[in-house]
Amino acid sequence: MYGSSTQFRSWTFKDEHELKRLRVQANADFIEKFGADMTPEERRQHFLTAEEEHLMVRSYEHSLRDFCKKFRDPRDARIRMLPSAATTAQHYFKRFYIYNSVMDYHPKEILVTCVYLACKIEEFYVTINDFVHNVRGDKKKAIEIILNNELQLTQELQFNLIIHQPFRPVEGLLIDIKTRFPQLHDPERLRLYIEEFLEKVNLTDAILLYAPGQIALAAVTTAVSRLGENLDHYVTDILFPQEQKQHLPVLIEAVRKIKKMVKNTEPPLSDSMRKEIEAKLERCRNQQNNPNSSQYRANYSEWDDEDLPIASSPFSGDVSMGVERIRSPSAY
Amino acid sequence: MDAYTVVGRIGEGAHGVVVRARHNLTGRLVALKKVPLRRLDHGMPTTALREIKALQQINSQHVMRLLEVFADGAGFVLAFELMLGDLGEMLRDASRPLTRAHVKTYMTMLLSGVAFLHKHNIMHRDLKPANLLISEKGQLKIADLGLCRVFSRRGKRLYSHQVATRWYRAPELLYGARQYREGVDLWAVGCIFGEMINSCPIFPGESDIDQLCVVLQILGTPSEASWPGLAQLPDYRKITFPECQPIPLSQVLPEASQDALDLAKKFLIYCPEKRLPALQALQHPYFFTPPAPCPRSQMPLPPLEKQQPPATQEYNTTFPLSDLAHALHAHLDPVM
Repeated sequence: MYGSSTQFRSWTFKDEHELKRLRVQANADFIEKFGADMTPEERRQHFLTAEEEHLMVRSYEHSLRDFCKKFRDPRDARIRMLPSAATTAQHYFKRFYIYNSVMDYHPKEILVTCVYLACKIEEFYVTINDFVHNVRGDKKKAIEIILNNELQLTQELQFNLIIHQPFRPVEGLLIDIKTRFPQLHDPERLRLYIEEFLEKVNLTDAILLYAPGQIALAAVTTAVSRLGENLDHYVTDILFPQEQKQHLPVLIEAVRKIKKMVKNTEPPLSDSMRKEIEAKLERCRNQQNNPNSSQYRANYSEWDDEDLPIASSPFSGDVSMGVERIRSPSAY
Repeated sequence: MDAYTVVGRIGEGAHGVVVRARHNLTGRLVALKKVPLRRLDHGMPTTALREIKALQQINSQHVMRLLEVFADGAGFVLAFELMLGDLGEMLRDASRPLTRAHVKTYMTMLLSGVAFLHKHNIMHRDLKPANLLISEKGQLKIADLGLCRVFSRRGKRLYSHQVATRWYRAPELLYGARQYREGVDLWAVGCIFGEMINSCPIFPGESDIDQLCVVLQILGTPSEASWPGLAQLPDYRKITFPECQPIPLSQVLPEASQDALDLAKKFLIYCPEKRLPALQALQHPYFFTPPAPCPRSQMPLPPLEKQQPPATQEYNTTFPLSDLAHALHAHLDPVM
């Protein structure tokens, strides 16, 4: 249930100001740490502003959507990514950059990691090799980046991996409309517009601010008005009978805001502006997390030498399980 | 990891070592299950992710509680409430056999836990005495959801049949079924129930094929009549056994009361859809006829001195034969 979920408790925020405050904080923390010996002017020249960071995240959200749309299973090109996996990935991506700076972790790397993890969580089974088939460039490096980032990502998500999505509330509303509001002829006509809306809403902060059920209602009412029809009577009189009327204003306000956010989902950056910020980012990003930097190489080759860092932890020890040992089933 | 001090070792779980640890701030004792990540593999194991996902969504007094998850080095750690032992240990402890009242209480707790999981569309897929942990208050809790899956009520999803520990594996899995549901857990519940009554496993197969053979010898050869859809199972035609007549369950469980037999029969049914759902099973007359279930406060606790499971024994196969002959000789002729 959404009401008892980690999504509601930890990842649904009060309003846009709170989100902005947290993002500005993440930006300031990074600058404080990496620009300790710089003058304010140098800092301004060198680092991305919170605003620039946010624009980057926004435009990568569009890239994420396109990546998921184009995604094909190399073994069977008919298999496309589940909308639930794409939605989960968008949530992960947004959550990650509420508390982290783009300069610390490059969005292009977090993007693929989010999608890979979302596929696992939404039971859309794809091997890492098949997955990186969809990534442009060096496949081996992509695998390395994804696997190196995966744990970090889950940790930043505080292992809150379940995402409540609007798909099921949408089905519920459609069933309800069919049974209790026959005035609306053939609600199946709404589907195309609903899908379009739900894809767009993932590109906004609405999914960090509103409940899946509210988003679902916004999607359905938008679809109805796209058809030039009206659902007001259903919402005000059937969905909210007299004794529940006091909840109605809150819901109407939420739906209105969600719709407003969805209206402005154009790509936030022109190509030239994006290139400019990307170039600045290459200079100011944390080199320890840059797979192309010598610092990153040094860190991870140390890792390889030790095989696994946990080798020295109290967990390891005589846990080897050789094939020469035969055990009874109860021992497993 | 800095928040905890490791104070001992518990054993090996499905995907890693389990240790006993104390939370430095609260002093609370917990069980930490370390899931190592093998890089170059597929990253975080799906099984562990499913376990986290399932445990975060549920909250039942008969399912092990996940206290927190955190990353540590190149892996991550699940912190669970600490339990004293497991039902397997209780069953092996021949000095203190379970009474009928104890068995009844364990069944209530097991079925409540299973009913809870099934209500949330989760099938455990690996129920067995070693996965039923006993708390310091004698409470039974279902643990190790590493193999659990969320099942869909109508979907046509395929699942692996390589699940569940052999002795508790349902016949449809033994025949290679890829579409199955919570029935696999209900079969395991029946096996565990029988094992508590008999103090030993009721279907101790020695290999996957033998497992089917053992089940067939007791329940008789299944037919399309007793199990509709049987012939469509992937491995059904791959192997045939001599025709077996069913043995009355009262011979298999000679100690069981009439009600207990009736309940066991309702789980140990070939056709998965006909097995008694956990929630309904709790209403079975068995629970309402004497002896009454043992009050929860008087339930036995696992032995503090751990007995080693009898399993794992290694034999040296490179032993020179002449040495063996020598030893035998010494026995036959002590004067030499």
